[in-house]
This record gives sequence, C-alpha cells and structure tokens, in this order.
Amino acid sequence: MIFNECMMKNSIRSIAKTLCTAFCALVLASCGVSKVVIEGSYPSPNVAKLPLSLAVVYDEPLRNFSYIEYSETGAEEFNIASGASHVALFDAVLPAMFESVVEAASLEEAESLGVDAIFVPAIDEFQLALPNKTKLDVYEVWIRYNMRLVSGDGAPIADWVLTSYGKTPTESLRTADAAINDAAVVALRDLASSFSLSFAQVPEVRDWLASR
Amino acid sequence: MKALLPLLVVLLASCTSTTVDEFRQGETGINSDESIVILGRRHSSDYETRAEFVDCVGERMTTGNDSISVIPEKEFVDAMFPWFEPRTAPLRTQDLERLMAEPVVAEKMAEFGVRYMVWLDGFTETSGRTGTISCTVGPGGAGCFGFGSWEDDSTFDARVWDVASLQNVGTISTDASGQSYLPALVIPIPLIARVEANACVRLADQLKQFVNGE
Repeated sequence: MIFNECMMKNSIRSIAKTLCTAFCALVLASCGVSKVVIEGSYPSPNVAKLPLSLAVVYDEPLRNFSYIEYSETGAEEFNIASGASHVALFDAVLPAMFESVVEAASLEEAESLGVDAIFVPAIDEFQLALPNKTKLDVYEVWIRYNMRLVSGDGAPIADWVLTSYGKTPTESLRTADAAINDAAVVALRDLASSFSLSFAQVPEVRDWLASR
Repeated sequence: MKALLPLLVVLLASCTSTTVDEFRQGETGINSDESIVILGRRHSSDYETRAEFVDCVGERMTTGNDSISVIPEKEFVDAMFPWFEPRTAPLRTQDLERLMAEPVVAEKMAEFGVRYMVWLDGFTETSGRTGTISCTVGPGGAGCFGFGSWEDDSTFDARVWDVASLQNVGTISTDASGQSYLPALVIPIPLIARVEANACVRLADQLKQFVNGE
C-alpha cells in the first residue's frame, strides 16, 4: 500500500514536472526573440546579357547579414537573417545579366582571375515596419544597398546606392514570421528587378561600358 | 419554428448584394489557341490586390461554357521577370507598348499566346464591427455567449488590354457588400456573407462574356 502511494506520488510529481517544463518553455518562447531566416525563390531575369566576365565577392557582413528589430520596451523582438537569401538572389540574377560569372572569396582573389569587372554588393541599412507600430495593415521591409563595381585590376568604376521595398498585407491565419519573410522576399525581388534593369544606366557604368 | 431555422440561416448567410458595371471601349473576341493573363495591381502604398482573388477569378474563367485559357499569375510574372514586378509593371497601355518593344518581352508574350491582359485592382474592407462575445472554460465544460456583426465591402476593377492592338478595350467594375453575423449561444454560429467570393464569381462571369465578345 505504501509502495503504491509512493509510486503514485512519483508519477504525479513527474507529470507536474513535465507540465511545469512545458509551461516554462512556452513562457520563454513567447518572451524570446523570434528568429526569421528569409527563404524564397528568385527567377532569373529576362534581360539582354552584357558581354562581360564578372567576378562577384560576397563578403562576410553580407553573407551573415541579420537585422534585429526591438520592441517598444527595448527587448529583441525579431532577428531577421537575410544574408544567405541575398547570396541566392545574386546567384540567380548575375548569370542572366553577364556572359560569365565567377565567385571569389576576396577582392585580391578576384583580381587574380583576369575578369573584366568585379562586383561587391553590400547592405547599408535594413528597416522593418510592423503593423502594431505603424497602425497600417501591412508588413514592410526597406533595404538600402551599396553596390561597388571595380575593374579586373581593382581600379574603381562605380559606387552607387540602390534601395528596395517590399510589403505584404496582414492576414488572419498568417504568422508575423511568415509575413516578414514574404515582405522581405518581395523586397529582394524588387532589388533584383531594379538592379538588372538599371545596371547599365548607372552613369559611371554607362561611361565605362561605352569606353570599352 | 424548427423548420424555419435553416431557411433563416440561409437567408442570413446569403445576405450579399453585388453590382457589376461594364464599360466597353473596343471589340473583343478570342481564338481557341489564345490565352489571357490576369494580374493583380500591387503598386499602391496602402493596399494590394490579393493573389487569392486573382486566382479565384482565373479559375472561374477556365470552367463552364465558353471557358477561356488563363495563364496563372505567378507563372507569368516569374517567366516575365523583372518586367511585371510592382515597381516595373506597365500602368498604361503606352507603357505596354514600350515594353513590347523589348525583344525578350515580345518573345515570351508570343510563347504564352497572350491575347488579353486583365489588370485587377481592388480590395475588401471590413467595417462596422459591433457586439461582443465572451467564452468561458470551466470544470463542467466550455461555452460562448454574445453576438457580433460586421460589414464587408469588396470593390474591384478589371481593366482589359488587348495585347494585339495595345489598346484598353474595356473596364468591368464590381462592388459587393454584405453583413456577417456571429451569434453565440454555447457554440458560435458564424453566418458569413461571402462578399469577396460573390464579387469573384460575378466579375469572372462578366469578364468571360466580355472577352468572348458577347
């Protein structure tokens, strides 16, 4: 009888412990930062190819780019990792724009490849607008880039700023994480479209292309 | 009384009024080897045409009598990338004319066999939310009590561009509104006005007739 009571007490303790752990995990999860890794698919642009060989350098800040959105109380609310998605986007866009594209680990390595030009993209600024802060029924993502093009031997050709914007409306059965991802993917597509259509119109790039 | 209840439910659930206006500016007609593409406008800062509504209109047009071949929006936009993105899509037929001067665009358009391009622009707005519903859970069970209601209003325009003549051949406008109710007596009974669904059906049917030249 004593043995049974003891066993019962142990099993109640075990259930209580499990429930307590689950509750604590839930509380911690609801209070913690929400990690959003941007994932999307990016089509290749239908544009005329430029007869150039290009080396692209994705530096560490771009590869590991993440943005942290803070709540009004100063706590970390969202950690948005978009570095890998940016690399995937440029990998889809650049081969459609240039005759040949090769990836280099550094500017020095790129200079040794004997290409026509070296492209170094960088993210300058990332902004996120959430419906609970803006009182609008949309999630918005705004990104500012610094695009740098240098010649095959490292001489500067052009250095210009490009902005992209994406938004997605709020929906009842969509989580904030999914909405942020969708808005960021729209912003990345916007970057791809403006970059591929405006590249040859950048004054310094246009002059350099004309002089070749 | 019991026999009247289902009738009352049907009457309340179907309480939606829809108006469709057509403005024709040119002759239309489509061959069996030609297609149309329906695209949503997404350039406005405060709203965007939902992809689900665009899909709904497209699916409705591919069914029934005189069905028309419709190219799915995402397939078309991805294949035409980057020319039909929110910032680059043509807003007027003159812009389409400029776009068709690009060999890659004209080639893809011919590949798809697009005869008409339909631009859907609009949204559904919910207003006049009233009432309260409270739900409680106890050892003996759970239940909700109260009453809520709201009004939905869908407004959509469909502009039809003839890709062959590069002209705007007409506009069809739809306005649908309806009141939804949510009475709760132990369990909530949603009596939802299918406003956007009705707008989709009426717009698609009118659009099908318009494109077929009827």
